[in-house]
Amino acid sequence: MNYGIVTKVLGNLLLFETAAFALPLVVAIMHRGPDIGAFSYSILITAAVALPMSRLPRPKSDLRVKEALLIVALGWLLVSSFGSLPFLLSGSIPSAMDAFFESVSGLTTTGATIIDDIEQLPEGILFWRSFMHWLGGMGILVLALAVLPMAGVGGFHIFKAESPGPISDKLVPKLKDTAKILYTAYLGLTVIQGLLLYFGGMSVYDALLHTFGTVGTGGFSNYNDSIAAFDSSFLRMVIAVFMVAAGVNFSLYYALYQGNFRRMWRSDELKLYLLIIMTAALLITVSLQASNYGSVWERFQHAFFQASSFTTTTGYTTTDYEQWPEFAQSILFFLMFVGGSAGSTGGGIKVVRWLVAGKLIGYELRKILHPRAFVTLHVSGRAVPQETITGIVAFLFLYGMIFVVSSVVLSLLEGVPFISAASSAAATLGNIGPGFGVIGPGETYSHFTIPSKALMSLLMFLGRLELFTFFLLFTPAFWKQ
Amino acid sequence: MRITIVGAGKLGYKLAEALSISSNDITMIDTNPVALERADSALDVLPLEGNGVELPILEQAGIKRSDLVIAVTGSDESNMLIAMMSKKLGCKKSIARVRNPEYANQSKFIREQLDVDFVANPELETAKAIAKYLLKGSALQMESFANGKVILSSFSVQNLPKVENQLIRDLDLPPSMLIAAISREGDIIIPDGSVRILPLDTLYIMGTRANVQAFTQEFGGAFRKEVARNVLILGGGKAGYYLASKLLQNGVKVKLIEQDEKRCQYLSENLKGALVIHGDGTDTSLLAEENIAEMDALVSLTGFDEENLLLALLGKQRGIPMVVPKVSRPNFVSVIEQLGIDRAVNPVSIMASEIMHFIQGGQIISMSMLLDGNAEALELAVNEDSPIAGRPLAEQDIPSGILIGVVVRDGKVMIPSGQTVIQPRDSVVVFCLHSKVAAVEKLFNHPKGGLLGELWHRYKGFGKPSLI
Repeated sequence: MNYGIVTKVLGNLLLFETAAFALPLVVAIMHRGPDIGAFSYSILITAAVALPMSRLPRPKSDLRVKEALLIVALGWLLVSSFGSLPFLLSGSIPSAMDAFFESVSGLTTTGATIIDDIEQLPEGILFWRSFMHWLGGMGILVLALAVLPMAGVGGFHIFKAESPGPISDKLVPKLKDTAKILYTAYLGLTVIQGLLLYFGGMSVYDALLHTFGTVGTGGFSNYNDSIAAFDSSFLRMVIAVFMVAAGVNFSLYYALYQGNFRRMWRSDELKLYLLIIMTAALLITVSLQASNYGSVWERFQHAFFQASSFTTTTGYTTTDYEQWPEFAQSILFFLMFVGGSAGSTGGGIKVVRWLVAGKLIGYELRKILHPRAFVTLHVSGRAVPQETITGIVAFLFLYGMIFVVSSVVLSLLEGVPFISAASSAAATLGNIGPGFGVIGPGETYSHFTIPSKALMSLLMFLGRLELFTFFLLFTPAFWKQ
Repeated sequence: MRITIVGAGKLGYKLAEALSISSNDITMIDTNPVALERADSALDVLPLEGNGVELPILEQAGIKRSDLVIAVTGSDESNMLIAMMSKKLGCKKSIARVRNPEYANQSKFIREQLDVDFVANPELETAKAIAKYLLKGSALQMESFANGKVILSSFSVQNLPKVENQLIRDLDLPPSMLIAAISREGDIIIPDGSVRILPLDTLYIMGTRANVQAFTQEFGGAFRKEVARNVLILGGGKAGYYLASKLLQNGVKVKLIEQDEKRCQYLSENLKGALVIHGDGTDTSLLAEENIAEMDALVSLTGFDEENLLLALLGKQRGIPMVVPKVSRPNFVSVIEQLGIDRAVNPVSIMASEIMHFIQGGQIISMSMLLDGNAEALELAVNEDSPIAGRPLAEQDIPSGILIGVVVRDGKVMIPSGQTVIQPRDSVVVFCLHSKVAAVEKLFNHPKGGLLGELWHRYKGFGKPSLI
């Protein structure tokens, strides 16, 4: 393990975060908030740590897989740790564990909060909370790769470890250009949604924060009631549609830009993803027959919003879905395990993994009928290599194991009803945010004990970095020379 | 430049490696996912799995907007087809590897009528390089610059016994000549006066032809007077065939040992005057029978690197003056130097060098890849805008790993010192590590892009922000 190179890259990453602190600082200054000092000190402290690290001499050897994995895992850990400084220094969140939890929840685009009354926090702090969603959504290291040149070729390993989904491909030959294209698409979605929300009646500030929360599939709002604070079907639908858009594989936007509609049309993952959301939305709409919403259209709006929010792992809410029939609630609960598409900002398991797993069952059935048949598994017209299939199966199994173990541990630590413990585990591991029971809409994670918060912070990291990257750090083989 | 490389084998990989440094966008096509994976994880290229002869694959690789296609798959026919298809689809230039002797004879027709811009034949180039070495008695590797006025040669210190264990500053070097680099255990050292020359080093010497010759004569006769008259070739593949026919044309006696009976038949039909022997080249009793010790030179060209090296060592032990093994795998230079073999030829490096030569036009007048592509010698023209011109070299911030070797002004060759001011219209031979090629280009090319470009350039010079 080449620790020199790891330290240097992490130092540069923290410098990057220092620069990112400037934005909320500007917001704080504009509002003459009490948090100006907190951001100024955060900048000083982070820079004081980052500068000596980044000044290390450039190491001779290239970055290999091991170093890249360590950089990604430690990078997320460090950026979250330093990201909690403003919360602590401004006194908005007095406890260090809580501040860390909030910061992790922001960066991993989970959107789980421990703040009971969000509305009384200063503007700068709330801006930073949501801005972390934006940074974490497409990947902070990918952003660094897009902006800063990368010496050597190790960048691809970083890119692979950070971008979600079982297969991460470059779009164009140069990694830097690929990162730029992804961020251009991301920025494009951000600008369009921001404008729509602004023209739909939100203030510039509200529009920005909710855009960050939507395109990063995060879910932080600056209102206690989340999206229910806005009683506008236009805003609701804009946010719902952009949640769905942020959960689409961003390489498809590049194909669209190139005029390659066929690629979009041929994407099995996109079709299944949209099918899942629409089916869930329609089933819920039907089940809401007896509810007191005004019209079918309004019922559909809430159903579609909640289905999109859970599938894409955003976690915004427009209504108290715990008042809905059990049938609708159980659909929402299981949507927590779907996740967005590979290569999107959405978290969770990802639709393509379910697609492959589903096809694998068909493939096994065919093998039983025709033992000598030679079958290849295709997704979007491309043959899936055997190693990818094995990797997906292992991922699903590990995801299930972590979910089961952490649910049991949480119910032991907290003594809450099973559905609360299970949905807390699912909501943090899947980077969703709200769940059912004690973490239902309008509730927060504030009443959890410190060990539970630590466990759930770990779950958020595991979920965002797709298990293996973070899991490897806990294996002795990784540290052996 | 947008470049599509079809075939991710040894040559394809080498080319991608050499080309991916600068601002080139490289797409690699191969049917073998393992080969692609290797390129993908080590180089900044876009891998594309598929057969390059298929139209949809070429279109997917964006061949329409490509500047260059390099077809280096295992099959000559596919390569020619890919090159032709790509040109028809709108690719600007094409290179195809064609190895078969039957095709090589019609390479003019392939170039002119089939619209392939460059026909690359590694085996032929390898044979030519070996023949040059055996017949002209030249240095191990020699490149010439400035219309042949300046040469860059490599010598193994074993052939220059008088420089062993000396400090460079203590050597009485002729004027207009310098030791540009030392290759030691696989590392490249760009030396100053305080470096001591060790017995197993290889020296890269740059200067005017006469002076380099004077140096080698003074320090140990590395320029051999005698040329090979009796050559034993082990392995009658394509390279063996090309080499034998080249040597025969020059009146050299050729003995060729080949394992495959059918191939022997072919060789004896097509190589008039050569003695073709059917047998195993590694069979020492056969070698003894064929009077191996009487040979002037042994060239081992079988398909296996290990076999070639072993045979070369055997030849060396039996006292053959010149032994040349073919070693196709890269990165073994350091080991081979340690074995005391004067010259191993690497067809991949030779071919990559030729192809790079073809690709690099414009300001770079000529270039060669040295040391398996780890270092390069570039001849560059200086113009009015070149940042390097106009100020003494000592005052400029020239990165380490770059050596301004010789300056050619008005036809005269000089070795620059710190006080030398490079002027427009000079041409300069620069020796540099491969990783520094971009830095060299910056020294000689005025940054384009107006004020913003200029600011960016300066900014880069200051802080050099990068993730590493």
